[in-house]
Formats: sequence, structure tokens, C-alpha cells
Amino acid sequence: MLAKLAYRNMKRSARDYLVYIFTMTVVTALMYAFGSLIFENTLPRYAETAGILEMMTGLATFFIVLIVAWLINYMVRFMLEKRSSEFGIYLLLGMKKKEISRLYMRENLLLGGTAFLFGLALGILLRQVLMAVLFAMMRMEYRLGVSFHPGTLLTTVLCYAGCYLLALLRCRRKFRKMNIHDLMNAKRRNEEIRERGEGIKRLLLPLSVLFIFAFWTVFAVLDNTGEIVLFLVGLVLTIYLFYVGVSAWVICYVRKKGNAVYKGQNLFLLRQFASKVRTMQFTMGTLTALFTIALLGASVALMFSDYENTVLEDKFPFDVQLYSPEVQEDFADEMAVLQEQTKVLEARRYHIYTDQSNQVNAWMLTHLRVWGTMFRKEDGTPDREKIEAELKNGGAYCASDTYMGLSDYNALRAMLGYSAAALGSDEYLIQVKSRLAGEVQGMAQDLRITDRWGEGTLSCAGICADAFSQDGHNGGDYVIVVPDEVLGRMQLYYSELAADIDGTVPADLGERMNKTGQNPDRLGVYAEAELRPNECYGSDMIIAYAEDILVRDNLIPAAKYMLASVIIPLFYIGLVFVCVAVTVLSVQQLSDSAKYKFRYDILAKLGLERVQIHRLIRRQLAAYYLCPAVLGIVISGKMILFMSGRFVEATGVPVSPLSFFIKSILLFFGIYLVYYVVTYISFIRNVDER
Amino acid sequence: MSDYIRVCDVEKYYGSGSHVTKAVDRVSFQVEKGEFVGVMGASGSGKTTLLNLLATIDQVTAGHIYYGDTDITELSENALSEFRKKYLGFVFQEYNLLDTLTIEENILLALTLQGGRKKEIDEACGQILGLLGIADIREKFPYQVSGGQKQRCACGRAMVNRPRLLLADEPTGALDSHSSQTLLETFTDLNRSMEATILMVTHDAFSASYCGRILFLKDGKIFHELVRGPKDRKVFLQEILDVLSLTGGELTVQPAAEL
Repeated sequence: MLAKLAYRNMKRSARDYLVYIFTMTVVTALMYAFGSLIFENTLPRYAETAGILEMMTGLATFFIVLIVAWLINYMVRFMLEKRSSEFGIYLLLGMKKKEISRLYMRENLLLGGTAFLFGLALGILLRQVLMAVLFAMMRMEYRLGVSFHPGTLLTTVLCYAGCYLLALLRCRRKFRKMNIHDLMNAKRRNEEIRERGEGIKRLLLPLSVLFIFAFWTVFAVLDNTGEIVLFLVGLVLTIYLFYVGVSAWVICYVRKKGNAVYKGQNLFLLRQFASKVRTMQFTMGTLTALFTIALLGASVALMFSDYENTVLEDKFPFDVQLYSPEVQEDFADEMAVLQEQTKVLEARRYHIYTDQSNQVNAWMLTHLRVWGTMFRKEDGTPDREKIEAELKNGGAYCASDTYMGLSDYNALRAMLGYSAAALGSDEYLIQVKSRLAGEVQGMAQDLRITDRWGEGTLSCAGICADAFSQDGHNGGDYVIVVPDEVLGRMQLYYSELAADIDGTVPADLGERMNKTGQNPDRLGVYAEAELRPNECYGSDMIIAYAEDILVRDNLIPAAKYMLASVIIPLFYIGLVFVCVAVTVLSVQQLSDSAKYKFRYDILAKLGLERVQIHRLIRRQLAAYYLCPAVLGIVISGKMILFMSGRFVEATGVPVSPLSFFIKSILLFFGIYLVYYVVTYISFIRNVDER
Repeated sequence: MSDYIRVCDVEKYYGSGSHVTKAVDRVSFQVEKGEFVGVMGASGSGKTTLLNLLATIDQVTAGHIYYGDTDITELSENALSEFRKKYLGFVFQEYNLLDTLTIEENILLALTLQGGRKKEIDEACGQILGLLGIADIREKFPYQVSGGQKQRCACGRAMVNRPRLLLADEPTGALDSHSSQTLLETFTDLNRSMEATILMVTHDAFSASYCGRILFLKDGKIFHELVRGPKDRKVFLQEILDVLSLTGGELTVQPAAEL
């Protein structure tokens, strides 16, 4: 009998909480699909990045399990509260508390189990999509194939079941403490509206707004951990207290009988809104936090994915490029490997020179936006000491300025398919990364490059910003191109080799060349020993990729793999957080639509037309849905704009910082809209039901 | 004014095929302006169905209901909403107040839905609050006041727009005897001072004794009619009880001590 009752109750709950079930199904599917990245990652491994995707996904899963546990806990308690009077009747009929709690557990397990099974089926499908997307990102062919890894399944089951059991055990404790009277009255209790001290609570709204304003102005200049922690604590408090303030403010407005109260259904709307926000203030705060995190996650993911789509290709313009700190290096071993493994169309060995000064380096450190005022004294003049220290140990630029001869430059340009550059005998050219083209416009005025006789100075013929491998190979950020004769006055600095290859290269070409022994991994050296004076990486901050041996076809997939390990977990978190947040909103609204159906019946009796009631519901839902979303947008907005500004500056992605913010908002409003429409339709159905 | 509200041969059937229930069976009567009419009958006699038909909440199966020259059985759904808003007021057994609004705001909402200026709305609201003696609890929420006060608020909301007809469905059903008496006196006052036309459905003889005329319903048909005329209320109550005894005494009577 109990099983039958549980089954019937589950069927009823499923109808009432369809949105919740839908979300649980989606969450299970996401958990399974992303979990499979940890256990059945069929993507090719890259030595340096092995394990990153797994680790990041694991980390994301941890946060997601936390939030899903919260959702399940919230829902199980919510359903318990809704049905408490029913349970009171069971008790009255003589059922034991243990039996009822077991019945409720069984119902929830049935409900959760159903969602889980659907989710699993969807997850297996989603995994295929996810892998196909990942493979496409890395330009590899993916063969569809249904696989079923016990590890993935077990983790998904454990995460899911763990959340459920935890929530149910908590409920069981609650059951034990309840008596019939409490159960029968549980529903009535939360209908009471308490209004006390609204005048004071109202002040929380302007205070919150003031804090958010302060947050917008001060955020960019926060520079120590103490300040940041203080601000974050303030922010969390603001998020929660904002809602106390909003509802108090609306209540005061209605009590004061502001003009808007007298227009149409506003009185009803304002009161509904205030009372709902009041009873849900803590939940609303949590939802705002979820939206903020989701928007942040999605924006960062979008930044990296934009980077991948726009900048990455330009990072490695040459098929193969080699570096050696030794000026005598002839790259014979590497050439042998190249010729054995590939079809080399053209290979050019050349040198980077130096005039042993560091006027260009100093100019870069004191003028580029990335460095800010780090290398200036308080009065604005260059801080020589800091500059020296940076050039010695920092690694962004070599110890001395880097130069290149025009003939080498033009040969390399030809290899890349660019037109040749022309220079007069008393001219030089600045070759920089494209993101810096605008920033180095004033450089020429400050540079003094002596001509080949050491008497006059060269004049600047222009700035070139074509992609030219400037992360330590053809200089860091820049290389000054001079007529070949001028090089006579300079010293050889380090050796380079660039090659043009026909067709594709083997996946392990880079590794094979590395094994020739003369080119240990530069990052490894960096960790172990002092930086060599002729080594540098350029000023790229967030994503920097420096290696002695660059093989484009090997590096781009590896870089994409690494980027994917950031992008995917962030999207994963964003998606789940938003789904969880809107589910809570929707379920709240839908259960209200059933519980408070009488309110709309009364409005109908007062003469409101059906169309008017529908419009009223639309407005009411929009207010609930927008409130946490807008606050989330306002708070995350500053962080996202700040971060994306820095990102664009540091990586040279050719878009406006605002675009990431707008794109992630659009993305989430898409999901939002789906839930809003579904909720609205079900709401109307509940209200119109006779 | 005659022919204020005319109910002509109204029928209402539920079900279909062989399971048809005649809830209201060819009922005809008229209500004059300023009348206080009671409808009595046992459970299942069709009195609430009749009220719902008059209230435009339910549609007739056959027949016509005229408010002046308007036949409400011919109106569209939207026109009915408009009609309800303009001409009808409701008081129900379970009060039907909006729980998120205070007593005053419940009345205010009925006014703002009609549209109007702030000053007029405030005046009308204050007036009715005073008339019904609930001005001192205006800032309380429904859950904070007694059943009688809630019901008076519901009356206030129903009357504030000066409807053509006030429909009351067992308004004293959930009230204690003292609150019932106060409410019925309120109805009588409204009926006299505001010339409100009231149609009240009840199965309580004591409540019915406040009416000017009573229609007795049985199995969906009017089987008797009592007019109070200049009679004293207690005499009228006795007459009602006499009629009820004919029907088998299914209806309730307040204890004699309270009469």
C-alpha cells in the first residue's frame, strides 16, 4: 500500500515540480557528460598539459555538487513544507512518523531516480556532442561511439545520490521533531506577513546602492588582500541586505500611498512583490550570488574562447621556429629531424642582434599600458633601478634591445606571404605585436639609433604590426629592423631558424626535435636556473606560451586543449548555476500559483478581465525574475569589465571589453527566457483551472 | 423603480446524457431597487448556483437575466468582467480577502481597479471604513483581525464602488453569533443609508430574518415566498421558521436566547 501511495504521490509531485525534474535531468546529463572528461578523455594528450582538463573539470564538479546539493536540499524541504498538512492527516489516521518519513523518502528517491535515468540517457548523448565540439576545437576527427565507463557512471551516481541522501536525512530529523499540530499548521505559518521596523530596514536599500556604487568606483584600485577580502564581505552582505531593503522600501511606499499605488493593479503587484521578496530574501540573495558567479564564469570562458578564435593563429605564424641562445648554433640536428620527418619548402637560419643598450626596453616598460606605472617613479620619470632589475630577472624583455637585419626580415616576410619592406640607409622600422601598434606610435621620438658610421641617427620609417612570432623568437613584443649595414656596429645576440613546411607535420615533431638534446625546455630551465640575458617572453600576461621549439601544428591543438580546460569547466559552472537559480525561482512561482490561486479568483470577481490577469501575472513574474538577475548583472558587470579590459590589453584580442559582458548576458537571458515562458504558461494554466 | 433585476425562466443543468442534474429549474423572480432579498434552501437546493448565475460567474443553460435593459446571458466574457467591475459587489462565506494587502488596501484595490483620482479614492475608502467601523484596524493584515472584521472589510470592498447589486453567499457562515448580528446590522444599514440592493443566500433563519423578502428554494425551484412588510423582525423570524418546518427542518435556527 505504501509503495502505491508513494508512486501516486510521486506522479503528482512530478507534475507539480516539472521544472525541478527538468533541471535535475539536465544537471545529471551535464554531470555525466563532463564527468566523462575525467574518466574517458579520448583527446590526445600533450606532455605539459596532461591532467589539466581533468583537474579543472574535477574542480568545477566539486562546486557543482555543492550547489546541486543545495538545490536538492531546498526542494526536498520545500516540498515537505508544502505537503505538511497532508502528512499531518496521515499521522492523524494512525501512520507512524517513521512510516511517513520512509514514504516521503521513497517518493523522493523515485522522483530523483526517474530524473537520474532520463539524465543519464541525455548525458550519454550530450557526451557525444561535447566530445565532437572538443575535437572540432582541436581540428581533429571524432568518431561517434557510445561508450559507458563505470568510473563516470559511479561518480555521477555518487555525487547525485550523496546530495539526495544528505537532504533526505536532514528531512528525517525534521520529521522526528514535528507533531501533528505543527504539521497541520506549517502551511499557515509562512503566510503571515510581519512588518516591523520597516522605516529603518528601508535604509538598507540606499545603503546597498551606495555600496554597489562604491564597489564600481573602487574595485579597479583595490590592491591588497585585506582590502579585497573586506570588499567581498561587504558585497556578500550587500547582496543579502539589498532584498530586506527593497521589500521594506516597497512596503513603506505602499503605506505612504505613493501615486503609483493608485494606478490600476499596481497596489496588488507591489504588495505581492514585497511579500514574496520578504519571505524569500535569503534565497533571493543566494540566487543573486549564483547569477554573479555564472556571469563571471561565462564571461571568462568567452574571453578565452575569443582568444582561441582570433589570436591563437597569429601567435605561431611560422610552421616551425627554433631558438638557440648560442650564436654559433647551426641547428644541424634539428634540420636533420625536419628533413627526415617533413617536406621542408624553405628554411632560414638567422640572428637577432643587439646594440647592448636598452633604450627600447626601457621605453616599453615605461610606456605600455600593461606595465602601468610600475617602472616610473612618483614624479613620472623612469625608475632606472627597477627597469634594470626587470630586464635582468623579469623575462618580458631581453637584457638588451633586439635588432634584425632588413634582408632577414624580408626573407621571413616572404615566407609568411607578406610584401617586402623597404628601408633607406638611414631609416629603421619598428616591428611589434598587433595589439601594441597603437601604443608605440610615440616611440620613434624618444629613440636614438646610431647609423653605421656611428655619427648620425636613423629615422623611423614606420611601424609594422603583422603577426611575426614575437614571444621571444623575433624579439619580445618588438624587434627593430635596420639596414644590414647598421648591423656591423652591433653584436650577435642569439640564433633563430624559421622553416616553411609543405603539408602537415607529425604530432610528435616538436618532441623529436627536443630530444636532440641541445634545446631543453625553456620553462624548465627558467624554473631551475637564472634567466639567460638573451631570453624573453614578451609582455603577454594571461596567456603566454614560450618555447625554444615552436611547431605550429603541434602547438595550436595543445594550446587549444589547455584553453578548453579553462573554457569548458567555466561554461559548465555557469550553465548549472543559472539553471539551479531559475529553477528555484520557477518552482517557487508555480507552487504559489497553485497555493494562491484564490488571489487571482478574487481579482476576477473584482472585475479584472482574463487578459488583464494574464498581463498582471506576466508583470509579476518579470519582476521576480529580473530582480536577482539585474543585481547579479550590476555586481558582476564591474568585475567583468575590469577583467575583460585587462584581458584585451594583455592578449590583444581585437574586440571591445564590453562584448564579453553583453554576450554572457545574452546567453543567460536565453536560458532565462525559456524558464520564464515555461513558468508563465504553467502559471496561467494553474490560475485558469476551474 | 420596477424591473431593476429580472430573472426569467432560468435553468441550469449539470452533467450530460442520463446523468443530468437540474440545479436551477425554471426560476423567475424580480428584485426592486433598494430591496434586501434573501434566498433560503437546504444544501443542494440550488441557491448558490442561482447566486453564481446572477453574479455572472456561471452561465445559464436556458433563460435570461436582465439588469435593467441589459441581458447578461448575452454578454461576452470581457463584457461580463466589465459588468462585474461596474455593477456587482460580492461577499462570500470565506471572506476572500487578499492576504498580502491590509484591510484598507483591500478596499483601495477595488477602487484603483476602477480607475479614478487619488483624492476621490482616498475619500471613498475613508468613508466606507468609517461607516463599517473598521477604520481603527485599517493597517492590519487579514490574518491579524477577527472573522467579523474580515467580513466587514469584504462588505466594504463590495460596497465601495456603489454596485447595482450586492451578492452575499452565506456571509455569516463562518462567524460567531455576535459577529453575525453586527454584520447583518451592517447590511441593513447599507441597505437603508446607501439604498444598496442586496441578494443574500443563507440557510440560517436568523440571518434571513433581516431581509425584506425571502425566496425559498427546493430542488431548484422556488416553492415559497415571504414578505416582511411592516412586521417586527421577531414575528418575521417565526414565520420563516414555520415555513422551514414544512420543508422538514433541514435548515438551521439560531438559539432562541440570541433572538
